[in-house]
Amino acid sequence: MSFPTPRTRRQFLAQNALGMGGVALACLLRQDNLLAAPHMPRELRAFDMQPKTATSPPRARAMISLFMHGGPSHVDLLDPKPELSKRSGTDYPGEVVYSFANRASKKLFGSPWKFAKHGQCGTEVSELLPHFATIVDDVAVVRSMHTDINGHEPSIRFMNTGKSQPGRPALGSWLTYGLGSESQDLPAYVVLSDPGGHPVDGVLNWSNGWLPPLFQGTVIRPKEPRILNLDPPSHLRGRRQRENLDLLAHLNREHANRHPLESDLEARIASYELAARMQSAAKEALDISGESEATHKLYGLDDDATREYGTRCLIARRLVERGVRFVQLFLGGQPWDNHNNIRGSLAGICRRTDKPSAALVTDLKQRGLLDTTLVHWGGEIGRLPVTEGEGEKCGRDHNGQGFSMWLAGGGIKGGITYGQTDEFGHRAEVDKVSPNDYQATLLHLFGIDHAQLSYHYNGQEQKLTDNRPCRVVEELLA
Amino acid sequence: MLRTPRLLLCAALVLAATAIKARAADRPQAAPPDAPLSFERDVRPILKAHCFHCHGGEDVTEGNLDLRLRRFMATGGDSGAAIEPGDHEASLLYQRIASGEMPPVDMKLTAEQVATIGRWIDAGAATLRDEPETLEPGIAITPEDRAFWSFQTIPGSVPIPAFSSTERVRTPIDAFLAAELRSHGLAFSRDAEKAVLATRAYFDLIGLPPSREALAHFLADDAPQAYERLIDRLLDSPQYGERWARYWLDVAGYADSDGYTDADTVRPFAYKYRDYVIRSFNADKPFDQFITEQLAGDELVEAPWKDLSQDQQELLAATGFLRMAADGTATGGIDQNVARNQVMADTIKIVSTSLLGLSVGCAQCHDHRYDPIPQADYYRLRAVFEPAYNWKDWKVPGQRLVSLWTDEQRAKAAEVDQEGATVSAERTAKQEASISEALEKELAKHEDEAQREALRAAYRTPADQRNEEQKKLLDSNPNIRNLNNGTLYQYLPEAAEEIKKIDARIAGVQAKKPFQDFIPVLTEVAGNVPPTFVFHRGDHEQPGDEIGPGGLTVCSLPGERLRIAANDENRPTTGRRLALARWIASEDNPLTARVIANRIWLHHFGRGLVNTPAEFGAVGEPPTHPELLDWLARELVSGGWKLKRLHKLIMTSTAYRQSSVRTMETAQADPDDRLYARMPLRRLEAEAVRDRILATSGALNPKMFGPPVPVKEDSVGQIVVGPDVPEGNEPPRGHEAFRRSVYVQVRRSQPLAMLQVFDQPVMETNCQRRTTSTVATQSLMLMNSDFMLRQAGYFAARVRREAAGDPTRQVQTAWQLAYRRDPLPSELERALAFMAAQNDATQPPTVAAADGQAGAGKPAEATSAEEASQVDALANLCQVLMSSNEFLYVP
Repeated sequence: MSFPTPRTRRQFLAQNALGMGGVALACLLRQDNLLAAPHMPRELRAFDMQPKTATSPPRARAMISLFMHGGPSHVDLLDPKPELSKRSGTDYPGEVVYSFANRASKKLFGSPWKFAKHGQCGTEVSELLPHFATIVDDVAVVRSMHTDINGHEPSIRFMNTGKSQPGRPALGSWLTYGLGSESQDLPAYVVLSDPGGHPVDGVLNWSNGWLPPLFQGTVIRPKEPRILNLDPPSHLRGRRQRENLDLLAHLNREHANRHPLESDLEARIASYELAARMQSAAKEALDISGESEATHKLYGLDDDATREYGTRCLIARRLVERGVRFVQLFLGGQPWDNHNNIRGSLAGICRRTDKPSAALVTDLKQRGLLDTTLVHWGGEIGRLPVTEGEGEKCGRDHNGQGFSMWLAGGGIKGGITYGQTDEFGHRAEVDKVSPNDYQATLLHLFGIDHAQLSYHYNGQEQKLTDNRPCRVVEELLA
Repeated sequence: MLRTPRLLLCAALVLAATAIKARAADRPQAAPPDAPLSFERDVRPILKAHCFHCHGGEDVTEGNLDLRLRRFMATGGDSGAAIEPGDHEASLLYQRIASGEMPPVDMKLTAEQVATIGRWIDAGAATLRDEPETLEPGIAITPEDRAFWSFQTIPGSVPIPAFSSTERVRTPIDAFLAAELRSHGLAFSRDAEKAVLATRAYFDLIGLPPSREALAHFLADDAPQAYERLIDRLLDSPQYGERWARYWLDVAGYADSDGYTDADTVRPFAYKYRDYVIRSFNADKPFDQFITEQLAGDELVEAPWKDLSQDQQELLAATGFLRMAADGTATGGIDQNVARNQVMADTIKIVSTSLLGLSVGCAQCHDHRYDPIPQADYYRLRAVFEPAYNWKDWKVPGQRLVSLWTDEQRAKAAEVDQEGATVSAERTAKQEASISEALEKELAKHEDEAQREALRAAYRTPADQRNEEQKKLLDSNPNIRNLNNGTLYQYLPEAAEEIKKIDARIAGVQAKKPFQDFIPVLTEVAGNVPPTFVFHRGDHEQPGDEIGPGGLTVCSLPGERLRIAANDENRPTTGRRLALARWIASEDNPLTARVIANRIWLHHFGRGLVNTPAEFGAVGEPPTHPELLDWLARELVSGGWKLKRLHKLIMTSTAYRQSSVRTMETAQADPDDRLYARMPLRRLEAEAVRDRILATSGALNPKMFGPPVPVKEDSVGQIVVGPDVPEGNEPPRGHEAFRRSVYVQVRRSQPLAMLQVFDQPVMETNCQRRTTSTVATQSLMLMNSDFMLRQAGYFAARVRREAAGDPTRQVQTAWQLAYRRDPLPSELERALAFMAAQNDATQPPTVAAADGQAGAGKPAEATSAEEASQVDALANLCQVLMSSNEFLYVP
């Protein structure tokens, strides 16, 4: 969190002239009790991953975001609409905001799936999500999300970077910038990518934008070896590589002394240190063979349909267990983008993700980690209540006006639903929640005031919520 | 040392005194900053971005409210007048936008924008001028749109700011920058040391380090012109083209595969375009000509395309630029119409972003919300390319190849085919006869004629048509059932031998066929000129009005637009692309020269004067030094569009020659190096990192041009170069695997891991600007990858060759090879201690010594443990040097 106050020459020298790295500076600052609010303009700060003190007592320590991009159909999953079912086949009575005008229809399309109440709380869930139905008492379902933009990329950016324009830092970058990491042996911000490839917008989804490169997400591959080149060759294993790295650090430090004030050089020095520590820590964290059979089963690792996603969910738990601040799971392509054949395609992606997603919450809870781990499940848009195309193979078009997501743990109140869309599910109407509200709320759970967490760039104090009107959704807090 | 720049400066100063070209005055100019609020300047751009979509800009006008003119707003729509001049609170427009009710979708207005509109209403809702009587449908281009900086004619001359003699102004570039620095209380940093400057120049111009001899020669050269001569030598080097072509290949979206589908089919001849670009840069081909060739080279080669000369081949290869977009149309299982139109949309994107600095793609579906690009302009551009692509009569990539066979080769090939057919017929006859002979031989083993007949009939019946009885019969006579071409040799070995001989003859005949080489070419089919329609909302299934080819309206003077004839009667092709090319590659359009000059600047300084190099419109960043950009653009044009001249102009400036070391002062006052108070420190691009490693280890194969070095997936799924490398510590000479990175195959689905990790872009369409990341995966790559370990081994072997036995000399040699300098005393001491420690047998052994496995960087023929560890220590030292920041960054 940066508050523009003149820095002192002493702080400056600590970083540079004395030849100390970011870690040393952090220690120095901690002694001086400066770490909570390092009063330095951006370009002269030493950036590191040391844990930072939040401005207010945090509820959440880590976050796992199960990003369901493509636009999960809320009216078929989390937002039951009896009126839509009743009037299925008749015309939607108002204006519909379409993306694909050429395939636009006003014909209401009632959900082909049944909803039922679950848990103590009685939250209604579609039969497509039988496993999610078992955790509803720990979950807050938000039914009034809206980006007001129909496109995937701009809405993903809105949810993930605070604004629809490209080029901004991702959520994980902000969190690690603001809070550092509890683990100095693993990347603070991890992206678990899908075997089907990257999501739309590719690597921009975990870009640090204009934040220092230290805060970029680290991608872990969807198959073994999950991190390439992690193992040293046999002849370097042991002390030889340690000596290599010591010499390298020495040379880099001398070089940095000749080129002071370069955050990129500092970041690269840090990246070697991290890489070295990762060699043992990441290997251990990514190895799920020691997990019990019950755990394997819980995540669906015994089933071809769920094994892949389940493995990643389990890895996500292992990572936050080991102090990683932010983990985000993506899917390849747009599996929730059910323009066609929603009956088949939506059921398919639910089968793949439902059990592992629910298992993650269950597992975190039984390990006592759910209290401090915020789990997010959701996409960037929802889908329209009207049909796209005709007949058995019909689907639904994009809907940025209203959609659902769920949150659990990390100080979220369980067993509730929040907000409403209209009677058909097109527009969020009651207790609307914008992406910026969502971001303000999650920062709040981490003990950060969204209006305070800032970074000086382009002559402005830049913020995740981009200085736009937004609120912490108090009703979601436990 | 200063003579040339000084002279140039004087000349420029004289030019500056002459009047700015008259045309520039015709263009609307930007307003002074303190002007009162007006509709045209302050309000309309907001409404255009947020409201016109439903209120006047497109076919549906919601609530009958048209917001395109002030007087329309005063009249209002179904709900009454939208504005009450003088009273924002009483104005419906204000109420609706302030409450957030409007716009109903998409992004709301910011508080600042709402306030601007409120203040404008309160001040009387003024316009700058009388509004037109009538308005064409759509969003018109206003004088304010035209006043945008990048649409201004490039001035005939740009006045050079005054400067004082103490400001170390060497060239006009410095005068522009010094003026800005001065206004911020800053000045240029001191000049960089000579060795630093040389290193910088080498990496900038050729992407490789200087040889030790070349550097020593330069350092010893005290002549005032030494540095300029160094630049000249580098610009003359063939490696210059390899380095600078790569930048252009990024914006052109170069790939050796088709993309679009998972098949990602290889484009075996795409490299012809890559080689064309390299040759063009090396020849210092005027950039206007380079542009024209890429857009319309085919229109410059007379038909018929036979016995093509080298020059003609180059012209055709140039159109590879228009064949770079991903094109999956040869793959099954896709919507052909979507795929074909996507090729065209991507190509238009490549052309517009690379040459015009505008992403016109938004206008594919509707008038551009921010830039003055009507949808019609987009389809005018598309019409230029329509005859060559022709989505209704499409050619897949394989059909867009031009064979390089000469008449003679073609005749020879036909002759060979004929001969081959004769021999093949002979083979078929021989085979059939032999099968019959073998069959009869087997049948002869049966005594019963009827049985023989039945078996013969069963055998001759195709397998899927045999009845049950025949199947049973053959089953009980497997010797007959199993007789076929593949088993013939068991029945009639001599006949099989003869057939083999015929096969050899066929192969011999085929070998006489001349190799058929191809160039991917974009061209038109004579006489086949499809119409272009404006697609409603960009949907090819909803064609609207037909439209002809033309240029971007805003790039011409008011009331004008580049007119392109639908067909040039003097050519077999329509001539549309040639006409567009000549306009793009001229100073008549205000964008191209600025865009190109900016790109050159970008690659020298690591940031552009416009730091959004493909976005010169409203959503891009404005230039940090607009006059300097204009001056450079004018220099480019008046210098005959020669890039080498521009490089030299830039590189001889004080700005370029200054030190890259940051001071407190420059870091605080200019953290992003926008003012150029120092030379930015830059990390090498992916290709330059890999090339520098190869050059340092001694493995680099300097072979130029030709088919790409293939890539493959290794055993753990990492993408590596394909050709296998023999074991050993001496690099094989001239090995394909060790060619410069520009020659490594760019398979969209298989980016080379070593390059990708250092931010080489994966080509979706094209890359406007690379990002530079700093992540642990890069460190792991340099610490543990097979590639790096192997190169470290080569490097160590090279050091040992030069300095066998003496550790001190080895360290010095390693430093010289990696950094082109001697180690500092502290570094020498540290390195020697490092080697001693690694060789210290009293230390616990590494795992390697225990399991005895040889890695790539390990000695192949270690005779004793001591010797082995010596080589190890040196290889490890070499690896550390090549992983260090001094190695990865250009000072």
